Amino acid sequence: MTFDNPWVHGLVMGLILGNVSLAITGYSIWFERKFAGRMQNRPGPSVVGPWGLFQPIADVLKLMQKEDIVPREADKTLYNLAPPLTVFCALSALAVVPVAPGWIIADLHIGILFALSMGSLAVFPVWMAGWASNNKYALLGGMRAAAQSISYEIPLLLSATVPIILADSFRITDIVTAQLGGNWFAFWPPGPGIAAFALFFLCSLAEANRIPFDIPEAESELVSGVSTEYTGMKFGLFQLAEYLHTFIISLVATTLFLGGWDGPGDNDGFIWMAIKSLTVFAGIFWIRWSYMRYRADQLMAICWKFFLPLGLALVMFSALWVHAS
Amino acid sequence: MSWLASFDNLGVNLRNLFRPKNTEALPWEAKRERSARYRASFALVHNEHGEEACIGCKMCEKICPSEIITVVPGGRQESEITGKKRGTCKDFILDLNACIVCELCVQVCPEDAILMLKVQEPPGYQREDLVLTMEKLYENEKLGAATWANGTKLIEMQAPPPPPPKKPKPAPEPAAETAPPAAETAPPAAETAPPAAETAPPAKDGAE
Repeated sequence: MTFDNPWVHGLVMGLILGNVSLAITGYSIWFERKFAGRMQNRPGPSVVGPWGLFQPIADVLKLMQKEDIVPREADKTLYNLAPPLTVFCALSALAVVPVAPGWIIADLHIGILFALSMGSLAVFPVWMAGWASNNKYALLGGMRAAAQSISYEIPLLLSATVPIILADSFRITDIVTAQLGGNWFAFWPPGPGIAAFALFFLCSLAEANRIPFDIPEAESELVSGVSTEYTGMKFGLFQLAEYLHTFIISLVATTLFLGGWDGPGDNDGFIWMAIKSLTVFAGIFWIRWSYMRYRADQLMAICWKFFLPLGLALVMFSALWVHAS
Repeated sequence: MSWLASFDNLGVNLRNLFRPKNTEALPWEAKRERSARYRASFALVHNEHGEEACIGCKMCEKICPSEIITVVPGGRQESEITGKKRGTCKDFILDLNACIVCELCVQVCPEDAILMLKVQEPPGYQREDLVLTMEKLYENEKLGAATWANGTKLIEMQAPPPPPPKKPKPAPEPAAETAPPAAETAPPAAETAPPAAETAPPAKDGAE
């Protein structure tokens, strides 16, 4: 579906895809709680509505009713600006991700760079919130988020370089088109493809502050990290941004490595994109409820000593592969 | 390859995903029953003639352990309904803040005028909200949530047990007609009965 006027196209697509993403994000919280409950042999949310399906709605209503507390010594402008900005950064990465042929808000020729930079930019509002809260736990959380994001951007970009080299384009649509027909970059070229996918996946987890790389929040150490002082819907916006970011990295990982909307045979379409990206999404929850948190120094060590050399080696291999073939 | 063991976490969680859940759901439909003698608040009631039952005798004020009842007697006046002279109560104040819910005031009331209710007073913002005035107490009567206990019933319940029936010893001749079945089947019953009769009087003293 395309419109001739790029403004109309962007507006319509943005409304559709943005709202669908927000709905999926809201219900992913229900899904994660249900999923985690079943992993721990308990029912999960089961009271509000059938199978607890109205739980996210009840949670949002509860958050909206809560008192909006601003600490007296806080920097009020930055404090109030940070939560919407996190959602803005997470949501704007969606603009360049195609979910089906033609279903893309803005088909940038540097789409992959835009998506990754928007993901990296999400650390600025987080740091802003940590600074503005005037709270030592929030400040530590913000500093950890900044350090972690700066470190993990590099291997993330290196792993994303592999499909860029293989597809010979920065445009995500071209990358997906190069994979059509089952030629998924996660499995072809053999070996480095799956390694690059794993590297991208793990670095994305770190970018989105998900367990096992969630040291900016680290409930046992930092109360709640940057969102310590936030109440009500501002806290809800931080949560929303985190889940939205997680959902968008699963979309990006699907387009870069798992063939996007490529299905078996000629059955290409939106449904395959949905199946694959939601599977990756569920895998993130699966990891979250299976592992504990990395210590801050171990997190840095594994990034600089293992992920970065691995990323460089993968880029070198894929360049050689393209040169040889 | 010990680091491979860290993937066991994923396997364990995946297996748990398809196991039956151990949690039993809370029975939401089940309502918790309050005990039969649950009591919370107070009410003053009207008697069978439709006049205010309280006669201002101050017995509840005297017996109250926390001394929270204040009765202002109104003196003996001619009742507008029956035309007979009877005691009246001008004011009755019960401070529920310090009430220990002992029900003694209900027990001593000779007219069954004060009763306890199964419902609680609504919570208030000031301590004064829990001071029950006479108007509030007569309002509470309309709730119809009185407990089963009133003064008469409580006094009956706590009265000493009736004395055991006299042994048919002093009158063997009239008892011979009714007693024979027992005498035939259980001759030693006559021997065991006297100790029971001896233990009964102390129990009676204790009840008083």
